[in-house]
Amino acid sequence: MNLSSLVRPSTLSLLPPLHSTLPSRIDVTENNAAAIECSNLNYSITTRLHQSVPILKDCSLSVPSGQLWMLLGPNGCGKSTLLKILAGLLKPTNGTVYVKRPKSYVFQNPDHQVVMPTVEADVAFGLGKLNLPRDKVKTRVSKALDAVGMSKYLQRPVQTLSGGQKQRIAIAGALAEACKVLLLDELTTFLDESDQLGVIKAVKSSLSNSGEVTALWVTHRLEELEYADGAFYMEHGKIVLHGDGASIMDFIRTQQSSYTNQINS
Amino acid sequence: MNCTHRTTPTVTFSLSSSHPKPKTLIRLFPTQIPAKNPRLYLSVKKISFVIRASLHDSNKNNNQVGNWVSRLPTGAFAADNVFRLISTSTASPIYQFIASPSTFLHSVDPRIKLIWLLVLVVLPARSHIVMRVGLVLYTTLLSIWILPKHVWTDQLGRVFLLSGILFIMLGLGSDGVPSLVQLRTPPPAISGLPNLPVSLGGYSYSIMKIGPLQFTRKGLSVASTAACLTFTLFQSASLCLATTTPEQLAFALRWFMLPLTYIGVPVAEIVLTLLLSLRFINLVFDEVRNVALGIVSRRINWKQLTMLETIDIFASYIRRIFKNIFSHAEQISQAMIVRGFRGDSNTHKIYSLSDSSVGIADFVSLLCLVTIVGAALLSDRFL
Repeated sequence: MNLSSLVRPSTLSLLPPLHSTLPSRIDVTENNAAAIECSNLNYSITTRLHQSVPILKDCSLSVPSGQLWMLLGPNGCGKSTLLKILAGLLKPTNGTVYVKRPKSYVFQNPDHQVVMPTVEADVAFGLGKLNLPRDKVKTRVSKALDAVGMSKYLQRPVQTLSGGQKQRIAIAGALAEACKVLLLDELTTFLDESDQLGVIKAVKSSLSNSGEVTALWVTHRLEELEYADGAFYMEHGKIVLHGDGASIMDFIRTQQSSYTNQINS
Repeated sequence: MNCTHRTTPTVTFSLSSSHPKPKTLIRLFPTQIPAKNPRLYLSVKKISFVIRASLHDSNKNNNQVGNWVSRLPTGAFAADNVFRLISTSTASPIYQFIASPSTFLHSVDPRIKLIWLLVLVVLPARSHIVMRVGLVLYTTLLSIWILPKHVWTDQLGRVFLLSGILFIMLGLGSDGVPSLVQLRTPPPAISGLPNLPVSLGGYSYSIMKIGPLQFTRKGLSVASTAACLTFTLFQSASLCLATTTPEQLAFALRWFMLPLTYIGVPVAEIVLTLLLSLRFINLVFDEVRNVALGIVSRRINWKQLTMLETIDIFASYIRRIFKNIFSHAEQISQAMIVRGFRGDSNTHKIYSLSDSSVGIADFVSLLCLVTIVGAALLSDRFL
C-alpha cells in the first residue's frame, strides 16, 4: 500500500513541525564530506502559454559520503525531478549542484533502463566507456548479478524476465559500474517483499563493502526507512524536513493518523 | 466482511394443468400455505424447470429479414474481437534464445553459424533433388536433436505444412496449367510433322495427371526447390536464433562487415542499432498489447457505436501506441546517456561475454560444412 498517498499537503499545517525548514547542513556534514549537495535549487518549466510553472523551490540537501539516504514525499512533489537534476539529466533554473563522480542513475521503470537484449550484455553496457579488459568486465558483471541474486540468468533474453527481475538487472547494471554515487528512483515499485529486501540489502552491502559509495533513494515505502542512514521529506517542490529514518517515519505516520481522523470525524 | 443476509429457500409446486398460472418463481412463506389442505405443504417436492426461449415471428412469411440479419456472424469481426486478439497475443513473437539445455550448437562460433546459414540458402537452389531432400532431412534431425521437444514439434509442424502447401501448389501449377491453356509450339496436325515417338527408356515428361492438372518434371523441380528452400531457410534460421544470443550474432555480423569500414561504412553504429532494435522491438509489442488491453478493459459497447466512432477509437489506439513508443525511446536514450554512452559507437564498447575460443565443436561444424558442399558439387556433376 502506498502510505504516502494518504498524506495530504493541507494536513501539514495542522501539525507541529519537527523542523520548520531545512536546518543548516552543519550537523549533517560535520564529520563527513558531502557526496551529494545542492543549495537553493530551483527548477521550473514553461507552458505553451509562456507561463512559468515552478517544480522545485529553493531545494537544499546534503548527503554525507558513504551513506544511504532516502527521499520521500507525496506524488508530484518533485522527487524524481530533483533526482534527475542531480543525475545531470535536467538543468536547474538556478542554484548549485555538486555530485561526486562517477555517478549512476536507476530509473523507476526497468524497461527504460535495460537497453540490451540479453542480461549479461546489459549489465556490461555501462562498462563500455571504461575500456576494461574482458576478464575484468566478466568478473564485475558476475559480482553485480550475484549481489541481486540473478547470477543464473546470465544469457536470458530480457523480454522473458518479470518486472521485478528486470529491475534487479537494472540495479546490477548500476552496481557493476562501481560508482561513487547511486541515484535510485523508486527501485522497489515492481518488487515483492522478498525481492524488495534483497535489493535493499544488495545496495546496503555495496555501500558497506566500498565505504565510499553514497546512495540517494527515492521511495514511497515507509518500511524501507529502517535501512536508511537518513531521510528527506519533500512537499510542494520543497524539502520540508530532514533527519534520521525514525523521525521521518514518525512525522509521516502522525500526518496519516491526522488525515484519517479528519476523514472519520 | 460483515454483512447481514437471510437465505430464503425457494421451491416450486407441481400445479394442475386445469389452473394455468404464470411461470414465475414462487416464494414459499408460511402465510401462503393453504390452511385447508396442509398435506399439500408436506408433499412439496423439488422440481427443476427447463426454460426454453425462442424467437416467435408473428408475420413469418412477410418479415424474414429480422431473423436473417440476427444470424449474421457480426460478432466474429467486431472491433472488440480485434482488440481482444491483440491483447492476448504473445509479447515476443520474433526472437527467442533458448539458454538451456546447452547443446554443442550453443558452443559453435556464431561466424560459422552464419556461413552455415548462407550455405543452406544457396545449396537447395543449386543442387540435385537428392541433395535437397538430404538437406531437409539433415535440418530436421538437427532440430530434433538440438531443440526441446515442445519447440521442435511446434516448429517442424508449421514449417512442414508451409513447405507442403508450396510443394503441391507449385508442383501442379508451375507447368501443368499454362501448357494446357497456351501451347508454345503448334500441334503436329498443323505443322504436318509426325508425333514424337515414345521414349524407349521409359522417360516421360509428365509424371502424374490429376484431372486437368499434371505433375511434370519441371513442376517437380520447381516445387522441390521452393519447398526445400523454404524449409531450410526457416528451420536453419530458427535453429541459429535458438542457440545464439543477439550479441553473438551482432558480433559475427560485425566481423564480416569490418572490411567495409575502409570505405566509410559505420559498422559499429549499425551493430549497436541492430542490438537496440532487438531490445526495442519487444517493447513495441508490449506497448501494442498493453494499450489494446486497456481498451478491452473499458468494456466499450461496440454495437452502439457508429462506424466513424469505431474508426476514431482505432485512430486513438494507434496514436497512443506511437506516443508511448516515442516516450520509451526518449527514456531509453536518457538511460544510455546516464550509463555513459556519449553518442560515438566506436568509443563505447559493447561486450559479449560468451566464450568465443575456437573449440572441437567449431572444427566438427566446419568439417560437416565442407562435406556437404563437396557432396552438393559432386551430386550436381554425377547425378
